[in-house]
Amino acid sequence: MNTAASPPALHATSVRRHFGTGSRTVHAVAGVDLEIPRGEIVALLGANGAGKTTFLDMVLGFTTPTAGTLTVLGASPKAAVGAGRVGAVLQTGGLLHDLTVRETVAMVASCHAAHIPVDAALERAGATGIGRRKVRQCSGGEQQRLRFALALLTEPDLLLLDEPTAGMDVRARKEFWETMQTEAERGRTVVFATHFLQEASDFADRIVLMRDGRIVVDGPVDEVTRAGQRTLSGVWDGARSPEEVAADLGIDEVVHTSGRVRFTAEDTDGLARVLLSEGLAHDLSITAASLDDVFLDLTAGDSPEDRLGAAPAVEAAPEAVGTGR
Amino acid sequence: MTSASTAHRAATTTTPVTHRSAARRIAGYAGWELLRNVRMVESTFFIVVLPTVLYIMFGALSSWGDGEAGHGNVSAYNMTAMAVYGATMATSAIAGSAAIERQQGWGRQLGLTGLGGSGYMVGKILVALGIALLPIVVIFVVGALTGARFDEGWMWPASGGLALLGAIPFALYGLAAALLFRSEAAVSAASGILVVLAFFGNLFMPLTGTLLTIAKFTPVYGIASLTRWPQLEGAVVDTSGGAPAGDPLWAIVLNVGAWTVVFAVLCLIASRRSTRRG
Repeated sequence: MNTAASPPALHATSVRRHFGTGSRTVHAVAGVDLEIPRGEIVALLGANGAGKTTFLDMVLGFTTPTAGTLTVLGASPKAAVGAGRVGAVLQTGGLLHDLTVRETVAMVASCHAAHIPVDAALERAGATGIGRRKVRQCSGGEQQRLRFALALLTEPDLLLLDEPTAGMDVRARKEFWETMQTEAERGRTVVFATHFLQEASDFADRIVLMRDGRIVVDGPVDEVTRAGQRTLSGVWDGARSPEEVAADLGIDEVVHTSGRVRFTAEDTDGLARVLLSEGLAHDLSITAASLDDVFLDLTAGDSPEDRLGAAPAVEAAPEAVGTGR
Repeated sequence: MTSASTAHRAATTTTPVTHRSAARRIAGYAGWELLRNVRMVESTFFIVVLPTVLYIMFGALSSWGDGEAGHGNVSAYNMTAMAVYGATMATSAIAGSAAIERQQGWGRQLGLTGLGGSGYMVGKILVALGIALLPIVVIFVVGALTGARFDEGWMWPASGGLALLGAIPFALYGLAAALLFRSEAAVSAASGILVVLAFFGNLFMPLTGTLLTIAKFTPVYGIASLTRWPQLEGAVVDTSGGAPAGDPLWAIVLNVGAWTVVFAVLCLIASRRSTRRG
């Protein structure tokens, strides 16, 4: 078994995608470099409009980059998808409402060159019970399970999930991630886009955060959540500025959010003592730095100059993109 | 569905498939789509049942059915009329709903398979032709069994083939409606308008006078006259006793050609509008 020469699941170099022309150009993806080796589980985070969906569209071959190179499992995206090596659960993947769940899987299966039995796909996705139900009678979570069954039909080497648990209740979400765990253990590479940061930190090996069409954070989950760091937030009422105090104490990070000031430091107890004894702040709260904080920080508003200068990054309307037009 | 394909379908539910050729994939997709469409009772009613019933009422059971009309009888004239009606309804609805399902995202699910964009189109065309053939075959069989008569045998397949051919411009018609208005309601409205066009196409009561003159410029009139050419050779049936001038072949072909171009241009305009990001 030749494991050394296996091409990466995804390899993107300076990938760009813009829409429109002239002053109304929208740079949905503005220069993305990303390499994902086989077997890795990556969470793709970012606010709406950050470029996640456009980037995933390019990985699936629905749209082509306007610049840069993008290979999937060593081949072009369209070739990889056509060969059944990529499976995806898409938010914008429509379903036919008059078919039953089972019929949908059977119909899509007949469009594949090679696939596992329909029953097996339904079972792996936990959709055997709803097999006879018409799609229009299925809840949002049940329809997601159907999409998941469709994604697993070809035993793809790469699984892309775009907000896979949106619309699911807590139990359904738990079952979904248990199923995903099984799939990951089979050696699949999984890339999932999500707003649920808990999912990202629980399930992913690596976090990639996009903003304005670029990757701003890319690293192991631990690094990104800065294990060991804690945050202290409070309402400021000191005469000195928080930045001054931070500089004095050797703290690098001070953030102002919604009326409170937040410091990220290791010795938050020491900081608390200083703030309270010198009357610099009140209503203090100390927590371990969480992914939420990191996310909010990194997706918070740009500095005023950035906001005025940059073109807005807007996600393309998905229905205008057909099968590789 | 043949027994071979049902056996195949049963096999894929419990055993894996290791290689399926592009042709088999298109056939599999088209097969499922055919089954799906026939199962949709609402549309099958309007495409197959209604025209057949109308034929039986006005063509087979009526007293004037046996009267002469060109190279056949009046029943045959009504039969081809209803076949044209069913076939155009079929292609218009199939093309329209195909565009709508792509807009609603089903195209993306199919885009993740090995079917490909061209495979999808070929599959849909096969389905449209299959569904359009349904009313033609059913009504012709019913017609043959109830006394519709052509003078010569070749007129049966000729009329049937022309009805199928004439349904093609109306695929473009349905597609344009879906691309322009982007909703299922629009496709239903287009079917409704098609009923009015069918009236002007001289498919129901024979038109006379000014109405007839106007009708000659409408799209269904052209394809209806073309389908009737084997039997009537352009003559216009008139129940009021007059003898209106027939239509020369070039005029009929011009009508069909011009309207095909109009629908095609509408589709192009509409598709350009939908991909523009404003």
